[in-house]
Amino acid sequence: MTRSEGPFRTRNPWARIAWWSIAALIVVGWMLGFVVLGREQQNGPPLSPWASICRGFGFTADLAPANEPQPPLRTPTRIAWTRETFVQIATGNAERGEFIAINCTACHGDNGVSASGLYPTLASMKADTIYKQLDDFRAGKRSWGAMNAIAQVLSPQDSADVAAYFATRSNKSERPPLNAEQHVVGQRLVIHGDPARGIAACSACHGPGGYKVGAPSLQGQQPDYIERQLAAFAQGVRQNDINEQMRTIATQLEPEEMRDIAEYYGGGRPGQLAKQ
Amino acid sequence: MQQSNRLAQAHLWVAFGFFIPAMLLGAWQMWMRSPLPAPLHNHPDLYYASVTMHGTIMAYVLTTFFAMGFGYAVAATSLGRPIRGKTAAWIGFWICLLGTLMAAVTVLSGKASVLYTFYPPLLGSPWYYLGALLLIGGSMIWVVLMSLNMIAWKRDNPGQPVPLAMFATTATAYLWAWAATGVLLELICILIPRAFGWTDLIDAALGRTLFSVTLHGIVYFWLMPAYIAFYTLLPQAAGGRLYSDTMGRLTFIMFLVFSLPVGLHHLLADPEHGSGFKFLQSFLTSLVVLPTLVTVFSISASLEIAGRHRGGRGLLGWVRALPWDQPMVLAAGLSLVMLGLGGFGGIINMSYAMNSMIHNTSWVTAHFHLIFGGAVVIMYFAIAYELWPRINGKPLRSPQLARWQLWLWFWGMIIVTIPWHVTGLMGQPRRIATFDYHISTVAPMAPLVIVSVIGGFILLLSALLMLVILLRSQIGERTLAEPLRYALAVNPPRQVPAPLNGFAMWNAIVAVLMLAAYGYPIGQFFFLKSHRVPAVEVTSQSVSTELRR
Repeated sequence: MTRSEGPFRTRNPWARIAWWSIAALIVVGWMLGFVVLGREQQNGPPLSPWASICRGFGFTADLAPANEPQPPLRTPTRIAWTRETFVQIATGNAERGEFIAINCTACHGDNGVSASGLYPTLASMKADTIYKQLDDFRAGKRSWGAMNAIAQVLSPQDSADVAAYFATRSNKSERPPLNAEQHVVGQRLVIHGDPARGIAACSACHGPGGYKVGAPSLQGQQPDYIERQLAAFAQGVRQNDINEQMRTIATQLEPEEMRDIAEYYGGGRPGQLAKQ
Repeated sequence: MQQSNRLAQAHLWVAFGFFIPAMLLGAWQMWMRSPLPAPLHNHPDLYYASVTMHGTIMAYVLTTFFAMGFGYAVAATSLGRPIRGKTAAWIGFWICLLGTLMAAVTVLSGKASVLYTFYPPLLGSPWYYLGALLLIGGSMIWVVLMSLNMIAWKRDNPGQPVPLAMFATTATAYLWAWAATGVLLELICILIPRAFGWTDLIDAALGRTLFSVTLHGIVYFWLMPAYIAFYTLLPQAAGGRLYSDTMGRLTFIMFLVFSLPVGLHHLLADPEHGSGFKFLQSFLTSLVVLPTLVTVFSISASLEIAGRHRGGRGLLGWVRALPWDQPMVLAAGLSLVMLGLGGFGGIINMSYAMNSMIHNTSWVTAHFHLIFGGAVVIMYFAIAYELWPRINGKPLRSPQLARWQLWLWFWGMIIVTIPWHVTGLMGQPRRIATFDYHISTVAPMAPLVIVSVIGGFILLLSALLMLVILLRSQIGERTLAEPLRYALAVNPPRQVPAPLNGFAMWNAIVAVLMLAAYGYPIGQFFFLKSHRVPAVEVTSQSVSTELRR
């Protein structure tokens, strides 16, 4: 009874039904998967049967590339940290810069110590930072109010001079002493970052942990200014960070976290963080 | 018979002996990834080693040893004669145990935190892979023995229908043999040569595809003992009869045929396969619903027969009349509830489109814990309570405790998995050691995660209770116990058609289906494309997160 009615004897009704239904399942599955499913495209016109079968097999080379315009090529800044750039910045003449800086005090305050959250304090900011920002404003890589027009009348040498001047000023802003306990989140993000979210510690580039070329020291900076810049990076309004690092980090930050970081950096006297 | 009993008991003790430490690890994993302060919570490397151990034990050790032990017990009792090939069976047992210990020691050393699914190009110590190879390869001896025992019985009893329990056990063995080909090929051809340094690259896509051959079959291999109990032990325990023997045979045949050519639904988000094959296998997966629904129907019918026989009246009166104090009946009832919930979740997983909502989220983890950890493992407990007196000659000494244990397992699993499903829908990824619950999108998951931690500890308590119950029985007085009896069908089969009494045709059908579903997806790597990439070695380097909130 068993051997004579083996797996390929279609006279047995069980075997006939089983083989036919399996064959039907395969055919139906193939038709649906390779012809019907592949044809209907969510974002485009239906494909031809041949293209649909190719797609079913995983070949997409014969399909036209996505019909979207190539996004315009955009460089975040003209500045590259080359030897020439450093030489140019190093030639800055602080005495000459002092005269140029007369144009800045209206907004950035006496001696570059800003009294308003709208404008950053420039006193004691590193020369490379100021030089790069002026060039970015000049080239339209960064936009803000009058700064683009102001930067355009400055030559690279003027920029280096005024940068050298502000770098020698000291930031004597008077702010209430920092209470670190009120800014637990800010302190955590500044000192440790958040590796799980890909957020590097702010302190590694913006001090006091370390100072990287082009990155401003943030201690004693206007909190409102820091917060607005973080928001601008997060929204893509400001795009002049060379490797997109600030845009990447800022998009990970919640608004409250931006505020806390800004207050943590901006609160207290400059240099107080380093003592903690 | 004494020999067969010892064989079954050795297998079941290994299964449950490893199950308890894996439960401890599982509870700790739930705890450490929650917002609650947990011991060693700063060590994601320990988490991944622990997940690897938990998965390896639950997916390979518990299940394989349980299926083998149960299979030997069924073969001896249902065919009514001692097992042929006992020496080979013991050799297989020791090979599997050696493999288990090898893998366990390697994982404990922290050199194989690659999770039980291996995930090439992740690369662990070769001894872990060799251990897995011995365990899975050793179980093939059991496959051969089950097949030979059934064939020998048929030769000695020409024209007689093979008892349903043995038929189903053999279907399980063939299912496991087919399913295991994928992982065995992956181990032998890809992972072990690379782990020993004989090759320099890993074809990650081929490895994943081969593992997908195993991934769904193995799930049904885990499930089959539960279904065997549904059909052959439950109606007897409930005091009734099996509604239909033929439906039982068809169910096990359909599981064999439809649970194999479907594994690509685990790779729906993988780039190496075309949409056609993904859809085809997704389509074939939906057919697995058929044997499940047939089972729900015939088991409900069988229980109704039992309930009405016990005096139940009216539309649903028979449900109350069932002997719910019997561990087997209680476990089956709870199992069917979890199977229903988990089954509907599974339909979402395997759907080509809906899968993208929950792919790689904790929804998936919740799903397989509910289906396997819940519906299946609770039946393992019930089977153990049923078998223990039979193979020991010592009655189960704490039936009241057994009921408590089953209820705790059920509620523990529900409390673990329902919130877990929800966090999955909220987007919580799986296989992540630490979460920052301060992030506004993660914060709402925190209470749900805490609830499921509580469920995890209820499960741990339940597992320890099971150990107590089995140990108490083991050291008890030996009194003569009645032999294991299988449910009679309402119409006991006198003669069944050849295709319902053997597997030649069904294995041929599986071969054709596998060729249609997997021929191209696997073949393409040999003549069209290769995804050979450098391996990512998993070292024991400690990655400690100092700061955790």
